[in-house]
Amino acid sequence: MNVPVGILRNVQVLGIDAGGTMTDTFFVDQDGDFVVGKAQSTPQNEALGLIASSEDGLGSWGLSLADGLKHLQTGVYSGTAMLNRVVQRKGLKCGLIVNAGMEDFHRMGRAIQCYLGYAYEDRIHLNTHRYDPPLVPRNLTRGVAERTDMFGKVVIPLREETARAAARDLIAADVEGIVISLLHSYKNPAHERRVRDIVTEEIAKSGKAIPVFASADYYPVRKETHRTNTTILEGYAAEPSRQTLKKISDAFKEHGTKFDFRVMATHGGTISWKAKELARTIVSGPIGGVIGAKYLGEVLGYNNIACSDIGGTSFDVALITQGELTIKNDPDMARLVLSLPLVAMDSVGAGAGSFIRLDPYTKAIKLGPDSAGYRVGVCWKESGIETVTISDCHMVLGYLNPDNFLGGAVKLDRQRSVDAIKAQVADPLGLSVEDAAAGVIELLDSDLRDYLRSMISAKGYSPQSFVCFSYGGAGPVHTYGYTEGLGFEDVIVPAWAAGFSAFGCAAADFEYRYDKSLDINLAPDAPDDLSEKAAKTLQGAWDELTRNVLEEFKLNGYEADQVTLQPGYRMQYRGQLNDLEIESPLPSADTAEDWAKLVDAFNATYGRVYAASARSPELGYSVTGAIMRGSVPIQKPKIPKEPLEGETPPADAFLGTRKFYRKKRWVDAQLYRMESLRPGNRVAGPAIIESDATTFVVPDGFETFLDGHRLFHLKEV
Amino acid sequence: MNINVRATETQGATRGIVRGGETLKEHRDRLMEATRRTKHYAGLEKLELRDTQPIHYNKLFSRLRAGVVDARETAKKIAASPIVEQEGELCFTLYNAAGDSILTSTGIIIHVGTMGAAIKYMIENDWESNPGIHDKDLFCNNDCLIGNVHPCDIHTIVPIFWEGELIGWVGGVTHVIDTGSVGPGSMSTGQVQRFGDGYQITCRKVGANDTLFRDWLHESQRMVRTTRYWMLDERTRIAGCHMIRKLVEEVVAEEGIEAYWKFAYEAVEHGRQGLQNRIKAMTIPGTYRQVGFVDVPYAHEDVRVPSDFAKLDTIMHSPSEITIRGDGTWRLDFEGASRWGWHTYNAHQVSFTSGIWVMMTQTLIPSEMINDGAAYGTEFRLPKGTWMNPDDRRVAFSYAWHFLVSSWTALWRGLSRSYYGRGYLEEVNAGNANTSNWLQGGGFNQYDEIHAVNSFECAANGTGATAVHDGLSHAAAIWNPEGDMGDMEIWELAEPLVYLGRQIKANSGGAGKYRGGCGFESLRMVWNAKDWTMFFMGNGHMSSDWGLMGGYPAASGYRFAAHDTGLKELIASGAPIPFGGDTDPQNPVWDALMPDAKIKRDKQAITTEEMFKDYDLYLNYMRGGPGFGDPLDREPQSVVDDLNGGYLVERFAAQVYGVVAAKAADGAFTLDGPATEARRAEIRRERLAKSVPTREWMKSEREKILAKEAGDHVKQMFASSFKLGPKFFKDFQTFWDLPEDWKLLEEEIGVPHYGSHYHMDVSELPDVKTVQFVEQ
Repeated sequence: MNVPVGILRNVQVLGIDAGGTMTDTFFVDQDGDFVVGKAQSTPQNEALGLIASSEDGLGSWGLSLADGLKHLQTGVYSGTAMLNRVVQRKGLKCGLIVNAGMEDFHRMGRAIQCYLGYAYEDRIHLNTHRYDPPLVPRNLTRGVAERTDMFGKVVIPLREETARAAARDLIAADVEGIVISLLHSYKNPAHERRVRDIVTEEIAKSGKAIPVFASADYYPVRKETHRTNTTILEGYAAEPSRQTLKKISDAFKEHGTKFDFRVMATHGGTISWKAKELARTIVSGPIGGVIGAKYLGEVLGYNNIACSDIGGTSFDVALITQGELTIKNDPDMARLVLSLPLVAMDSVGAGAGSFIRLDPYTKAIKLGPDSAGYRVGVCWKESGIETVTISDCHMVLGYLNPDNFLGGAVKLDRQRSVDAIKAQVADPLGLSVEDAAAGVIELLDSDLRDYLRSMISAKGYSPQSFVCFSYGGAGPVHTYGYTEGLGFEDVIVPAWAAGFSAFGCAAADFEYRYDKSLDINLAPDAPDDLSEKAAKTLQGAWDELTRNVLEEFKLNGYEADQVTLQPGYRMQYRGQLNDLEIESPLPSADTAEDWAKLVDAFNATYGRVYAASARSPELGYSVTGAIMRGSVPIQKPKIPKEPLEGETPPADAFLGTRKFYRKKRWVDAQLYRMESLRPGNRVAGPAIIESDATTFVVPDGFETFLDGHRLFHLKEV
Repeated sequence: MNINVRATETQGATRGIVRGGETLKEHRDRLMEATRRTKHYAGLEKLELRDTQPIHYNKLFSRLRAGVVDARETAKKIAASPIVEQEGELCFTLYNAAGDSILTSTGIIIHVGTMGAAIKYMIENDWESNPGIHDKDLFCNNDCLIGNVHPCDIHTIVPIFWEGELIGWVGGVTHVIDTGSVGPGSMSTGQVQRFGDGYQITCRKVGANDTLFRDWLHESQRMVRTTRYWMLDERTRIAGCHMIRKLVEEVVAEEGIEAYWKFAYEAVEHGRQGLQNRIKAMTIPGTYRQVGFVDVPYAHEDVRVPSDFAKLDTIMHSPSEITIRGDGTWRLDFEGASRWGWHTYNAHQVSFTSGIWVMMTQTLIPSEMINDGAAYGTEFRLPKGTWMNPDDRRVAFSYAWHFLVSSWTALWRGLSRSYYGRGYLEEVNAGNANTSNWLQGGGFNQYDEIHAVNSFECAANGTGATAVHDGLSHAAAIWNPEGDMGDMEIWELAEPLVYLGRQIKANSGGAGKYRGGCGFESLRMVWNAKDWTMFFMGNGHMSSDWGLMGGYPAASGYRFAAHDTGLKELIASGAPIPFGGDTDPQNPVWDALMPDAKIKRDKQAITTEEMFKDYDLYLNYMRGGPGFGDPLDREPQSVVDDLNGGYLVERFAAQVYGVVAAKAADGAFTLDGPATEARRAEIRRERLAKSVPTREWMKSEREKILAKEAGDHVKQMFASSFKLGPKFFKDFQTFWDLPEDWKLLEEEIGVPHYGSHYHMDVSELPDVKTVQFVEQ
């Protein structure tokens, strides 16, 4: 921005968010200055859209693609391609080998998968439930005769000829990948690995090249449906994505880059596109924002952050507590239960495009769960939408500028919104149009607020100890509404809210994470020698996982001494079925004293998450899993730091006024152009700060301050 | 307004604990009187808060509902029992001061009614003065004589106070794995009276100041086999109740007690109106009649009961009549139901009616506004003395579901005929599966501890077909729409039984133009168990669902168990052993693999504790759902797909569907179109050839009735229905044109009928006031 003409910028970091419709790129230079590029996505060859988006972004700095890319040191990709491949069942033709007699279990799924992702009303409405087709059809599933029990003890020795027959059948069927998942292989992988070797031998004999995926080599965790689904994703969806990522990496290399692209993974770190466990990049886009918030928090000293992101269809919330992401170990995605560590992110199906309806039988106001998506609402005549949306309420109330939606690309008609809300909501409820629209917004805000509050209290905290970050295209419109009265320590809207996910990708660590199921059980009064043994067992698992992590880094040219390791474990009271993930307070465990420290850390967390009365130390403790995370330092965007100027915004930032309705009265809101506000400026509500990609609403009773990092702070006054 | 507080009238010495100063009893009486008088809940002919401040009302609703749902999700993670944690067999509900539910989480929502009944029992029996109801008290209940479904559903109930006055209640329930009944498992068989049915607790105060009493902890924890599950389940319930209590306190602090108070009553009336509007929108006024049956095969030697008088085969009977009126009100009458019996399949009026409500929420009122309003919007008549409204305090209830699920499937058919008439084809459901088998048992497990098992795989049965597509396979149970079968690796943690198979059960779904969803089967080998027993629980001789509009019922049950299998040696020698499913039980393949085994393969699908040891086998077969429409109308290719998918045993394609398929070298079936057309034409001709005019058929049936030509179990069933349902008897007589003096009495059949003359209700005990919820 302040670089004199003629001196080329040194562009160092690239973040990519390749969504279904738009591909965003985010470039950062050596001074921490950044620019966002946008282009339409090109699903057939994603590299094309990426190059176009890069040209757009670099172009606004006056740089050619070659000049922009030549100093680039690192690039991170996130996108929805793999998720779409799974949702649309357009993956590779895979074969599946399971226990003899259990060949149906994958197609049966878990019954929970027939209502995953449903709203309350549909979860109880039986006739709406449905199964998606299995990833591997029954006719490409084979069984091998063997059984291993839950302790890892062999019940039925592997009958190798059944494995050989299974392999030959699937090879003959021309599958493009073979997945193996046997019961309790996370506990004792011997049979599964032997099957894997037999399959590999048979493939070699056939002269074909078919990749083989044994669940114990990838996701050695309990619950066979989760583990098998996830391992299948490696063969079914991740391998094609690997090819896509290689193409992208190659396309950029042709334009002068010298590094391998990394991909945002579900655990919140980035991994190489060469990584073995690539399925964990299945969702990456939304995680970017969380990582961005975590990074900002690290730089600026915020420990507890509530990340909130509103787009057209959903409201996503994630929490960072004590600087750590919350990880969910058996999440679901695309209506499949999985065993990936996933940054816990909860979504409410309510966004700016959500439809508003009155229940015909009860007159209850229903928001969503479906939405107009990019078609905005009734206010956009060309959209063909007839049911009113949240955006229509925004139009009625003066929140949005009808002539500057997406920078004026879409012209909206307020009167259409007024008429539709009158007929569909206001008249049936006996309210004025303004009060109906304001009421709906109030209801949405209150839903989102309750949601945020309950997420934070479920972690055992109160909002007072959290900073709330608000981003996404529609986030800043609602920031005041869903934070009002919660008493957050601070509420922050980054000036680059609309490109925040791509920013987050650029800020992510290069980090691998490996998990392993364990069954360490200890009575409450266990003698020291047993505690010591338990500590050593855990350490043994950490050692194994460390080897895996280091191996992954070695693939990318990093030596062990460059890697920072952080062990973790999952613990529960003996006999429970749910554990808590605890970051180890110790770098290694060896003694009975070490074990006691691990137990203390668990008890402290348990009492916070549930209730102190739910603690059950008299049952003893189980460690159910070991975790090892390793990371290496990488180049990240610098957070800008500009000197503060005066409190009064410059004249050229002021755009005029617009009528704005809230709390039963119309007021004149001051309009500002977001890009023209200067650090140090203070804007009191009612005001609306507009930018092409987002609108930041500051109602009366609030004020905002733009700091030197280009972050708006919103306060109730 | 009948919900206004009467602060001025209730000053002084008699001040009660309810907000405003009424006693609980005064409060409930006032509300019930107004409800009767106005036909609107609590006399709320207008919904003041909802009508004047709809946004505020909606906010209250959505915040409370989200909080209650969230409490369930969070609290269930405390539990150790896979029933609670994997299957979601828990539920939390918020009540107003009178014990009427305002809103609920998902889960086993039948308990919205049963916990409400417990609160009302405390109100009617003046718990307020003794033992007293104070802020931070904890109550526990699982008494079937005041409304609980069966003893294994344990309620924790916590009053909610605001500024020293009671403003409501929160209840939490979990289905525990063992309640210390005669046999291990939560729904054991064999006991025939309450006294062997398990530990029962009557609205007992078990804690104060948010702390459980030590005498309660010591007593309760030794009354059940699976103490660890019991303890953690109790902590789950308490944690959830306390989360919801805190939520209510926060809401009241922010929104004001006036708004909350109005909401707590208006929501119930709102729910009642919601049901009425849905009935108007979805159904056609009129009278709908249907019936359900299930077998109680107790004469068999593998059913060990303590009492001679219980040792006989009987059939449970449940005719029903739904009357829908033009204004959307309705009445359900069960005239003609058979008497309660000496088994564990009886039900209390509350569990019977609440369960029907659960079914309605899955089809008629799947809205967020589900609460006691629906109960106030439904008139029930359950004749006293029937199996769903017993008149004796000795009755046992531990597997009430055996007939509840079979009886209600009839209602689903009745409603579906109405939906069909209105054109809501997607909502049609041919009925629900009999949710069994229940694998239960106990002994010492793989951890060398006293243990009981209770597999909940049958939370994923086949569902009934709709009028536009097949039922879902292995998907749901009527008592919890969020069905799931759980992961095998988790069940193996909880049970000393390894899986040798989990397979879709071919032919288990009823045939039809749209077939019922299929169930599945799990083959389990006993492993690492000591002093072990197991038993079977499900329908066997009878199909307990029916099918709709020509659709077939689902297959009924059977049992397969094998002892002294020699599997240890077979495994060691590498010989073939049973794996997968018992695909075609008429042509079994496993039995020959174990030549020396003692195999039990028959229709005796209810048994009591049988000894098992390592390497014995047990087949857990989950039932399918019924079909819709004539199988001859099924798309032929769909039948071929069913063959290839393992949903249909080969010979039934031609026999039932008239579809001829050729088998290719790779085993795949392909359709033979012309042969299919010919076969279908032939079946239609055969049908015509076999048919007789209805009147003629009735004539021959009438002769049989006059000669009393029927099995003793059929005669006993009708005799008990005739005795308790004079109108049913009259209708029967008229329909079959029987002589005036024709009668059928239990006395003449020659089977024991203890309880038919001498019975004594719990209401006859001193100081007990039962709460009447239905007409009887």
